[in-house]
Amino acid sequence: MPSSRFNGFTDYGIGIGLRVPHYHHILEKKPVVDWFEIISENYMVDAGRPLHVLDQILEQYRVVQHGVSLYFGNASRPNRDHLCKLKNLVKRTRTPWLSDHLCWGSVDGRYTHDLLPMPYTWEAVEKTAANIREARDFLEVPLAVENVSSYAEFHMSEMCEWEFLCEVVERADCGILLDVNNIYVSSKNHGFDPQTYIDAVPADRVAQIHLAGHSKFEKYILDTHDHPVLDPVWRLYARAIARVGRTAILLEWDDRIPSFDDVHREALKASRFLRYEEAAA
Amino acid sequence: MKRQPPNRLADLQALMAKAVMRPLTRDEGMQRTWTDGSPTAEVAAQFIKPNDRLDSFDRLQIYNQQYWWRLLSNFAVDFRGLRAILGERRFDKLAVAYLDHCGSMSWSLRNLGSRLEEFLCENPQLTAPHSSLALDMVRVEWARVLAFDGEGKPALSPKEVPEIPTELLRFGLQPYLILLKLAHPVDKLLGKLKRQSEIETGTASNAVSGAHSRRRRRLTARASRALIYLAVHRLRFSVYYKRLDPEAYQLLCALRDGTPLENACALAFANSTESPDVMANKTRSWFNDWMRFGWLTRPA
Repeated sequence: MPSSRFNGFTDYGIGIGLRVPHYHHILEKKPVVDWFEIISENYMVDAGRPLHVLDQILEQYRVVQHGVSLYFGNASRPNRDHLCKLKNLVKRTRTPWLSDHLCWGSVDGRYTHDLLPMPYTWEAVEKTAANIREARDFLEVPLAVENVSSYAEFHMSEMCEWEFLCEVVERADCGILLDVNNIYVSSKNHGFDPQTYIDAVPADRVAQIHLAGHSKFEKYILDTHDHPVLDPVWRLYARAIARVGRTAILLEWDDRIPSFDDVHREALKASRFLRYEEAAA
Repeated sequence: MKRQPPNRLADLQALMAKAVMRPLTRDEGMQRTWTDGSPTAEVAAQFIKPNDRLDSFDRLQIYNQQYWWRLLSNFAVDFRGLRAILGERRFDKLAVAYLDHCGSMSWSLRNLGSRLEEFLCENPQLTAPHSSLALDMVRVEWARVLAFDGEGKPALSPKEVPEIPTELLRFGLQPYLILLKLAHPVDKLLGKLKRQSEIETGTASNAVSGAHSRRRRRLTARASRALIYLAVHRLRFSVYYKRLDPEAYQLLCALRDGTPLENACALAFANSTESPDVMANKTRSWFNDWMRFGWLTRPA
């Protein structure tokens, strides 16, 4: 949806992830960019250069927060200290919505720093939805959950991934950050049709779309964010926006990061698909 | 007895986390034997589905490798100096031992090294015979992490120093100011390492082609004749080291403890043989510097 309660009724266009190698270019050249997505955890610090740079970015650009360690799918409740720090950052950035992943990642306070796949069970649906509701009520900002790339599936699963996603977001009444590259990666690793996934997603809950590159290995695909977006992912994206319509788009590039202009150019390719979609509407 | 596969979310996560956090083998694969002596492949097969290309073990191994590669690469970035002292192989061994024992107890990888000093004090065999130098290096490298993005309070300006008697005057110090007492010139070693690194990456000048092929030498240093008093601090968003006179170090420590200025000066110069005039001049000069650096704040 172009603008909905899940993305704070915004229409943000095409953004890119704010990354350290681009700081100087952005602050010096002030390029025209619709918006930047920041990794929340990189700025959940007390002071210093990260916040100094962020404040300068905030003077010029719209910023949306994306997290990597809230771990909604943990069997335990959200970490209250983490939520407090995150809320301080929310007040600073005035992010219209906030996203994190539909995954788990820590046990007994020990962190994997990974986005580990969920078992798709009813117990996990209930627990994850409860954690999302608790985080949203505390943070007082719309939340969207992102589907992750995965390399393993569990015997105990009682449904497929997209059924799990739909059940969680319905029960939590939250938005979806639809990562098209992650759907593609998981479809290759697990042998499902990625279009079936796209078609099953409740379009009215999609607050944002992620695009990224990946790496192919002999027996699996890894979500590395170190390449341009590959053609099959662009095709999947075209199908996604045919269902969802114009919504906030974000290109992630986290490793072997090229120049700012190269990353921005890659992101702007998404606009071609948006134009087709708008012409067809 | 046949192992029961996990059927609750918490059990599955505990089992998978245990598998993911187990150290890799020497050839960077997942350990073939589980903690109870049974094949890891059997454990993996109980909760992870195979597919037509990868068995359960292989799929679990992807996460096991990702965990270790991610943590080890972050740890190596934070402790470059320790790595240069120990050499690659010993550093890697130490890193695995530390991360296996302490793990990451924070949502932020920034805090990965928070317990390293304590761990190395308990495990000197991992750094012997360079344990003292290694500990000094770890103190400084962890201080860098804290100084980089630690809390900053409004700095006190000279105009704000109230006109009250010195016996009652107290100061606070910036939380990001870390005061260290060291046996080795670690600040100099880190400067040397930075220059080496700039040469190897070609960021210093264009006159060093071929440096990549040179074998990196280990950093080493003898203990200094006298203790080194070092402030690790932040100025205009960059981290710096500043050596301190012993009395200046004592004075700052006393101020941080909440001691009024007059008593703090008395503590700092307790063993000094210098004349009161010299002491007063030195103190004035230090305070000028500390004000300039923004180290002094209102007392807590």
